[in-house]
Amino acid sequence: MKIEILGSGCAKCKKTKEMAEKAVKEMGVEAEIVKVEDFDKILGYGVMITPALVIDGDVKVAGKVPSVEDIKKWITE
Amino acid sequence: MAEEAKCACGIANVGIFACSGGSNVGQIANKVAIELTKQEVGKMMCTVGIGGRIKGLMKSAEGSERLIAIDGCPLNCTKETLELAGFTPDRHIVISELGIKKSKDLDLKDEEVKEALDKIKEILQSD
Repeated sequence: MKIEILGSGCAKCKKTKEMAEKAVKEMGVEAEIVKVEDFDKILGYGVMITPALVIDGDVKVAGKVPSVEDIKKWITE
Repeated sequence: MAEEAKCACGIANVGIFACSGGSNVGQIANKVAIELTKQEVGKMMCTVGIGGRIKGLMKSAEGSERLIAIDGCPLNCTKETLELAGFTPDRHIVISELGIKKSKDLDLKDEEVKEALDKIKEILQSD
């Protein structure tokens, strides 16, 4: 599983990455968490506002920091 | 400031959706949305992407605190597109109701674009 955090590195982007790391750790799943700061790649997903979180190429949220519970739910989908 | 603008997390999450139809007012709507984005009133998003249910654009609209729909004429295609996708615009503006007559002339008149932009900014500031 690949989890991408889209955003250029502000506090909200960092918080989103922390939430993803926490969710992965608590669930004990194998996941690669990648920070994507390249705006061309971000726009390639159609994402206009960040932070955004993408799991295996599927955009799950944009424009807000997701909760750990949200991320856990998306991981199990 | 420049550093903040670089990251889309730092700006107000106001999504601006515009008509870009084949008429003067459709193209004025599009041009006004561009100007509002440049002036950081909000962020122009892709109305067609909502029609096509493109996931990233749908999620970006979901994540916006306010949605502004700018239509060219009373056919209200932008508003209808958003509503069909499950979004309710917080503010809906129709260019032809601002005193600009719809025509097939795609050579936009600068004074009409400015007139529409000024009126829309006034409307948005009154919210």
